[in-house]
Order: sequence, then structure tokens, then C-alpha cells
Amino acid sequence: MGLTSPALIATVAVFAAAALAAILWYWPKLSGRGVMPVAARIGALGVLQLSVLGLIFLIVNSSAEFYSSWSDLFGDQSGGGAIVAGQAPAGQNAVSSRSVAPLTELASSAVAVPGRPAEAGGRLQTVRLYGQLSGISVLGYVYLPPGYGAGRVTALPVTVVISGELDNPASPYGAGVLAGTAASQIAAHRLAPMIIVMLPAAIGQHDAGCLNVPGGTQAALFLTQDLPQLIDSGYGAAPPATRRWAVAGDSSGGYCALQLAMTSSETFAVAAVPPGGYTAPPGPAEFGGSPQIRAEDNLSWLLKHQPMQPISVLLTGSGAGQPFLTGARPPMHVGQVGLPPGKWQLSGVFDWIGSTLQPLAVRS
Amino acid sequence: MGLTSGFFTGLMIALALGSVAATVWLWPRFAGQRLTMMAARLGLIAASQLLVLAAVLAFVNGYFAFFGSWSALFGNGGSAPIAVAGAVASSRPIVVTGSDLGPVPGGSALPELADGKLADKPPHFQGQSASPSNVTVAPGLDLKNGAVAAARKVGKILQITVTGEHTGIAGAADYVYLPPQYFQPGYAHVRFPVVLALTGYPNDTWSIVRWLDLPSTAADLVARGKIGPAVYVMMNVSVALPRDTECTNVPGGPQAETFLAQDVPLAVERTFRVQAGRSGWAVLGYSTGGYCAAKLAMMYPYQFSSAVSLAGYYTALQDSTTGNLYGGSTAFRNENNLDWRLMHLPAPPVSVLVTSSLVGEHDLAGTLAFLHLIHSPMHGYSLFLQQGGHNYGTWVRQLPQSLEWLNQRLTPVVPPAQPRPRPSH
Repeated sequence: MGLTSPALIATVAVFAAAALAAILWYWPKLSGRGVMPVAARIGALGVLQLSVLGLIFLIVNSSAEFYSSWSDLFGDQSGGGAIVAGQAPAGQNAVSSRSVAPLTELASSAVAVPGRPAEAGGRLQTVRLYGQLSGISVLGYVYLPPGYGAGRVTALPVTVVISGELDNPASPYGAGVLAGTAASQIAAHRLAPMIIVMLPAAIGQHDAGCLNVPGGTQAALFLTQDLPQLIDSGYGAAPPATRRWAVAGDSSGGYCALQLAMTSSETFAVAAVPPGGYTAPPGPAEFGGSPQIRAEDNLSWLLKHQPMQPISVLLTGSGAGQPFLTGARPPMHVGQVGLPPGKWQLSGVFDWIGSTLQPLAVRS
Repeated sequence: MGLTSGFFTGLMIALALGSVAATVWLWPRFAGQRLTMMAARLGLIAASQLLVLAAVLAFVNGYFAFFGSWSALFGNGGSAPIAVAGAVASSRPIVVTGSDLGPVPGGSALPELADGKLADKPPHFQGQSASPSNVTVAPGLDLKNGAVAAARKVGKILQITVTGEHTGIAGAADYVYLPPQYFQPGYAHVRFPVVLALTGYPNDTWSIVRWLDLPSTAADLVARGKIGPAVYVMMNVSVALPRDTECTNVPGGPQAETFLAQDVPLAVERTFRVQAGRSGWAVLGYSTGGYCAAKLAMMYPYQFSSAVSLAGYYTALQDSTTGNLYGGSTAFRNENNLDWRLMHLPAPPVSVLVTSSLVGEHDLAGTLAFLHLIHSPMHGYSLFLQQGGHNYGTWVRQLPQSLEWLNQRLTPVVPPAQPRPRPSH
């Protein structure tokens, strides 16, 4: 009879039940004094105990299949197998992986700095980024500082700016304006050269605050895993072990920036954002019907319930009741600078980012 | 009184024997034929049966190291919603809590020091005392001269506590195996590849040393030139025992996935002389650890390039031991289902080796289904035995080939310049 066969279990069960019934029934016959009755009691109890234990073992074993056979149980099972490469042929599955270039440069232009030669400002690229894990494709911009690629051996720091205004040349968040601001600071030696990656606030289908929509668009996956890989391999930024990126954004991009720093500080160690409540993600609520996931999407909740993250956050402007100012404790550092309302002075923000990234970059 | 201590097991056995003796002794007093007497007999037998069962469970638990401590079995009372064990006030992500764990097992490969002695249970140490030394193994751990000589021959197993920078989770007692080469002068500037090894549920982490024989198998294969030296980080897959967390970022609860996939690699990369990122990291596990190995590699392919799942499963489990793992969200549960991921998300660039048995492993069908869903750029491999149940005997048979398979996917260490016959593959 096999170790896991129902017949064996049934046999042992019947035997145990019979042993129990027999003991209960013939109990008085074994209650005498002397060696023989005592030995008979011990024997009877032993048989019952062992059969019950055996029954329990057989039932547990057959439901979990710990040991499939007697030889398995007694450890004399042997024989190996061969490793076989086995998977479905390409194109057979529901989602066939398209071969999409991870990084496509669509356009490139010089960034002008007034009163300086043309090459002194660096370049601004328009790029299409395709995330291999998330499957998300994003149109963005990459600013490359002067000297990029000219035989550099040290990796450049990276700042990610997330904004819905990248294509608006009148906004301080217009891609060209951002690049010009950074180029001026670098040319004036107020800012160490850095790569600036500019991304729209709506990543994927809609503006969900850079969160993973349960079962849907994986914007956080794109930003925290695909993007570092794309920038590392495409632009030779710092490898993962020494990676310390900054992230900045306005309005829903500001929520993104804080969200990324609060949940993925291994990449986004520094964040700069304008004032805001940051209590719920922008856009329609997408939490897969889970109140817990909805709570985690609230940055104030994260501040209260998860360990303090090793991040530096700059709040620009004098927003009242900032939970981040009062709730943060080391290793999380939060600073605030008051700026004239309505105008977010990016040059100052870049300076702060540059000075905050620098000591961290040499730390590891 | 430790759950797995000899004293506790002995006490339970004594109680069980005592109850049998008491039953034999009191037997004549319940010899009547009235119904109450019958009921009393039944009660007497049931009580001694329960005590015997408890003794057997205590013995089996101590033997196989399912639950290593009372807190692992019953929990340690209230804990913060996300930070499981509470943030340990330490500036170091990894603290070495024990280093004198006896010789690395592996008699055939390591005749010098392998005297066959291996602790059945993880020894508990209070930490290292400061002493003059000449080799710093890790921050906070320096080896004395004699210990260095031994480590250069057989390597070293350290007991460690990893504290997650991001999650606040603190692993209780986990282990790292540093190969002999790690201590040899020729390799002084070499960074080693890393295999993260995960237990099943429920398990004490020492099971990977004691029952899976991972360090001894690796040492033997290295000595025979079958694989290159690597660092093996052995972790408990359950970060909040007795709860089965299934390496999931539980909404509003323990962020087990982030701990294992990001906190642990970051801490290991900052503490030991190891490689960083996917070209130098792989993950291996059995049972629940197998599911987690496949899941971590698929969800963090830039950290892990390959995974071995020994008798794992590939769907998102939820039962009485796990509690509410997915915040009540079907969509989020789907995201933790590896079959669903392969059907609905782009395939990640990783290689996964799945193992099972044609007879004796009830997850064979699920393993085949997962294998058939794998498509490029992911690569699937299988190792099926003719027969073998869900036990260490089966996994021990699959381990050498699995380690050789992993070895082909990790960046090898560059051996020191010395005349040495090249191992043939």
C-alpha cells in the first residue's frame, strides 16, 4: 500500500478506532494488580498511541505530500533528472513581447546661454523611453550638460523633473526653460554638471500620481525600475549601488516626486516640491477596491506609518500645516524655503539639489 | 525556555511519559461499567494522547526547525502596521550576531577541518567581543589570526541580523556563507557574486544549512571545479512569523517584497565584498521560497538575473496562515500571481529554473502551466525528477545541478594569477 494511498489511511483509521473501542470495553479486564495486567495496559496504550500518531502523520503527509513514497520517507530515493530549456515558442502567448527600442532620440538641440559660446550650454534631447518591465512608453526630454560624453569617466548625477507643463514654453517647467535655467547655473559654476530627465506628469493612460494602478498601468514600476535602467545604460549614469537621484515636480508632478522619495529612496534620495497637501493622489482614485492600498497612497499616512526614509526633502514656499515639516525625523530631513508666491524659482531649487546630491554622492 | 531547546523537548517527553504512567496507575479506579466511568476512561486516554502528540510535535519542530522560537510560533504581541520588528537603532544595515558556528559542513570537499560536527540547531551568540585581529570580514566583525587560517580553508558562516532601511523590517537570525576564497589574499580585491537563498514556510533559517546542505554543496562543487565561489545569503522567507507573508508588500502591513528585493541586496552590497546588481545576483528558494525566488526575479530583474524555484508554486496564495495579503483587492492579488503577470505584463529579462517531480509533487501541473507561459525575453528551464515528495531529500538531489545552472548565469570572480588547472565544464 502506498504511503499516501487512501486505503492505508482508512486501514490505520479503522485499526485505531478498533483499538480505542477495545481498550474502553475491555478496560476492567486489564485492571488487575501484578506484572501481567500492568504490562498489558502499557502495551494497549502504546498500540493505541502509535496508531493515532501514525494516522495523523499519514493524513498530514498525504494532504501536503511531504513524502510521496516509502522510499522517499526512508531516504533511499535516488536518481536525478536533466535540466531542460523549456518555454513556449515566441508569439504563442497572449502577450507577445514586442521588440521596442528602449531609448529613441527624436530630436536634439543646443541649449543657449546668453553671452556664452554655443557649446557651453549643453544639449536638450527629445526622447521616447520604453520601459521593458512596465510596457509603458513615455515622451520626455533629457538635458545633457556641457562636457557630457567628452571622455568623462565619473558618472554624472541625475535629476528627474516631473511636470505637466514641459511643452509649455511660457512655463518655468517648459523643457527648454528648465534646460536653460540649469545651463545658466552650470555655466556660472553655481551648479555641478548634471543630467536632467524631464517627464510628463501623466505616465501611461492618465495622471494617477505616478502610482501603480492595481492590475493596470504600472507608472511606479516604470519610474522606479525601468527609468533608472534606461538612464544608466543610455547615458552612463551612476550604477545602482551608488545611485542617488534627485526628483522635483510641480502640482501632480510634486506629488509624484514626494511619492517616489517616500517609497523608493534607494533611487530617489532627494526631492524638491512646491507646497501642497499631498494627502491623496491626483486624478481619479485607483486603489483596486482596497482601503489599505488607498491609505498607502496617502503620503501623510506613509509619513506616520512607515519608517522614516533616508531622504532630503525641500519644500518651497510657505504652505501652512505642512505635515512633512512637523512629522519628519532623521534619517529624513525636510527643509523649507520661502519663495515669492506664484513663482517657483528653479535656479534656487537646482542649486539646492546640486549641493544636497553632492555629499551624498561621495558617501558611498 | 527556548521552543527548540533540549530542555523543553525533554520536559514535553517527560510529561507525555508521565501521563501514560499515570493512566496505567489510575487504570483500576475507572474499571466500572457505568457511563461516567466510560467517559472518564476516554478523558484519560485523550489527555495522555494529547500530551504524547505535543511531545512529538516539539521534537519534530526542534528536529526540522520549522519554528525557531516562541515568538516565531505565536508572534511577539502587537507590532507596528508596517515596521514588523521595529526599527533597530543601528547605523549598520547588517549586524553580525554570531561567527563561531563550527566548521562549514562538507566532509568530502574539505578534509582539513571537517570533523563532521555540525550543530543541529542554530547556536545563539551574544555578539563579538573586540579583539586584536587582522582581517575585517564585515563592519563590526574582525577575525583573529587562527580564525583567518581556518576561514581560508573552509570559509565561514556568519549569523546576521539585517535591518531594512526602507521597510524597517529586521530579520531575526539569518546567515551568510562566505567561501574560503573570500578570505584568501589573492582574492582580496575581488567582488563575489551573490546567491540569495530563501527558506520555505514555516522554517528557521538554519534549515538551509542543516537540511538543504547549501553551504556544503556549494563548497563541494567549488572544490571540484564545477562552480565558481559565491557568497550565499540565507534568509527566512517569512519576515513576520508566524504569519506567512509570501514575500508580498502587504497593503497596510509588512513590506516583505521590498525588504527581500531591495533592502537586503542594498545592505549586503554595502557590507560585504560582493558584486552589485543583476549580473552578480541570483535568488534560490524551496517551496514558498521557490515562489518568492521566481517572483523577486520577475519583479526585480535589474537586481536578480536568474532564479531557481525548487518545488515552488506560481499563483498568489491566500489562506489561514497568510491572512489578508492583498488588501482585499483582486487586481493587486493578480499582480502577485506569476501566471497572471506572464499573461498580462511584458515578460521580464530573467532566467528561471523550476523543479518538480513527475510523481510525488502535487504542484507539478502548476509548474508545467507556469513553464508554458514563459516567453522571451524571459527564459524558462526545468528539472524534473522521476519521483520525489515535497521534502529536503528531493531538493538535495536537485541542488547541485541547480547551483551549476546558476553559476553559468552569474559573473564569475576573476581567479588570482597562480598556476592552477582550469576547471573543465
